[in-house]
Amino acid sequence: MLKIEGLRVKYGADEVVRGVDLAVKKGECVGLVGESGCGKTTVGLSAARLIDARKGKIVSGKILFEGRDILEFDAEGLRKLRGRRISYVFQEPFSSLNPVFTVHEQLKEALREKGKAQEAISEILKSVGLEKISGKKNIYPHELSGGMQQRVMIAMAIASRPDLVILDEPTTALDVSVQNQILELIAELKEKMNLSILFISHDLRIVFSMADRINVMYAGRIVESGPKKDIVSQPRHPYTKGLIGSIPSLKNRKKRFEAIEGKTPLFSDLPKGCKFYPRCKFRIEKCEDEEPAIENISGDHFARCVRAKELV
Amino acid sequence: MELLKVKNLKKIFPKHKVAAVDGVDISISKGEIYGLVGESGCGKSTIARAILRLIEVQEGSVLYKEQDLLKMPYRKMRAFRKSLQMIFQDPHTSLDPRVKIGEIIEEVFIIHDNLSQQERRNKTLETLEMVGLGEAYLGRLPSELSGGERQRVGIARALATDPEFIICDEPVSSLDISVQAQILNLLMDLQKRKNLTYLFISHDLGVVGSICDRVSVMRKGRFVETAPCEEIFASPKHEYTKTLLNASRLHFR
Ligand SMILES: Nc1ncnc2c1ncn2[C@@H]1O[C@H](COP(=O)(O)OP(=O)(O)OP(=O)(O)O)[C@@H](O)[C@H]1O
Ligand SMILES: Nc1ncnc2c1ncn2[C@@H]1O[C@H](COP(=O)(O)OP(=O)(O)OP(=O)(O)O)[C@@H](O)[C@H]1O
Ligand code: SF4
Ligand SMILES: [Mg+2]
Ligand SMILES: [Mg+2]
Repeated sequence: MLKIEGLRVKYGADEVVRGVDLAVKKGECVGLVGESGCGKTTVGLSAARLIDARKGKIVSGKILFEGRDILEFDAEGLRKLRGRRISYVFQEPFSSLNPVFTVHEQLKEALREKGKAQEAISEILKSVGLEKISGKKNIYPHELSGGMQQRVMIAMAIASRPDLVILDEPTTALDVSVQNQILELIAELKEKMNLSILFISHDLRIVFSMADRINVMYAGRIVESGPKKDIVSQPRHPYTKGLIGSIPSLKNRKKRFEAIEGKTPLFSDLPKGCKFYPRCKFRIEKCEDEEPAIENISGDHFARCVRAKELV
Repeated sequence: MELLKVKNLKKIFPKHKVAAVDGVDISISKGEIYGLVGESGCGKSTIARAILRLIEVQEGSVLYKEQDLLKMPYRKMRAFRKSLQMIFQDPHTSLDPRVKIGEIIEEVFIIHDNLSQQERRNKTLETLEMVGLGEAYLGRLPSELSGGERQRVGIARALATDPEFIICDEPVSSLDISVQAQILNLLMDLQKRKNLTYLFISHDLGVVGSICDRVSVMRKGRFVETAPCEEIFASPKHEYTKTLLNASRLHFR
């Protein structure tokens, strides 16, 4: 469905996506995780060609949607693509909802089939747990709570019945019960409509519960990818191991949280060799000289670390 | 010592028949971390905004050091705003899109302190570094940051005034576990070192459970249960609290 090859994106002089390959098959949910600022949103926006041209530039690579490179599409082609085939749920919902139109108007606009619009809108609002506003046609986005706005975004994204949906941190503002409801809804749509999903999140717990495949990103590149079960049970990259190790638990009240030590590297000043080197507990001398290539571990499991095979 | 006391707070928005906040009482002692949890849309942010008078309420009082913030003239309120800060849920809308990050933070020092330009610069950088953002961010606009970086600018701005009391509205929701840990450690360290007080709104029970002293569980504009944190997690009394806890168990390993 979607295949990203060798994607490189720059903001000014900083290259923040430094050669990313990633694929989403029909009916598959692929997770993209990584720390704040590592380039996840930039990959997502690129995949729908939504990078603001005044700020960023896709330097090279291919974005194949059903085999055709959308980087070569004209404005009309893109419009069709984004209206129906691909939909996008933005990380900050309020900034992407239109403040001057009501929620109903915006949902109606997004609907693929315009007949029986009111019924369809009620149905969709109910599925995201917003039945309480389905009877109110005059509600504007700023009159909703943060989590409600986020759910309106999700409702809009599925209203157009897309083939691929890119979800950027879709449940960050939601409490667990609503979050579970939304995740179940997404899983159900995936089954029923054979929807393909690129699921971007900083929260490994959520990605674990949703994705078939997981890509772990660090400093603009994928450092580990594989089927969920491999990543959960046998993470090979030290960064992935650190991420899994720092999942919080209720057992350690008032204790300091465990973080991966060290600082996120700056794109303007990346280490020469492995980008995780300064923070890595397992580093050896040779990691410092050259960035490791991504290597096959087993089956469909890959990691970008010179010691991946020995670190079990 | 009781630092903040909210009495019978009530807010009804136009177009709504039911109150978004329906008679809420809160009492927070100095040095306490007070958690507020509840489902999306139950009124948490409305309480936060009402305390700081960002919205007008129909009923209730907000006593901060025994003075009613809601009745205070705005001039006087401004003097309090230095020690009373808020970290907003949606950083995108709370940061001025035309102002560079460095200036957003420096502004705080211009308003509140009498410092030389060099001192202000240093403090700005120091504050940004506390939240894991350095020099490279000074000259950027909010739109030139990632979501989690913007959230941290909001935190840095709140910390810059050296406040006594901070309302944190979902302060770490878009941060990955590792950066989240750094921020929560920072908030806990500051709390210990300076005896800060927090009203901590979060949907993440794991986070609330590990840092808060007391918690109120909110539903449909009302508090259904308030208790010390250990108690709520060990023996929730209200059905809704139980549901919330059960739903979150799925996420703990
Ligand atoms: N317009 C811009 N100009 C300069 N740098 C930018 C711009 N937009 C983003 N960046 C930088 O690019 C990097 C990647 O940003 P991106 O939004 O893709 O991160 P992310 O992985 O989605 O992070 P988060 O989890 O915090 O949302 C960040 O370091 C950010 O500071
Ligand atoms: N400016 C406004 N005008 C009208 N209604 C509003 C406004 N702000 C909030 N509301 C309504 O008040 C209720 C409570 O909203 P609030 O933002 O306090 O919820 P919340 O508990 O913070 O939820 P979330 O966890 O999703 O952020 C919601 O039903 C919302 O629609
Ligand atoms: S290549 Fe070396 S420094 Fe990089 S993650 Fe692997 S062991 Fe650590
Ligand atoms: Mg992002
Ligand atoms: Mg809120």
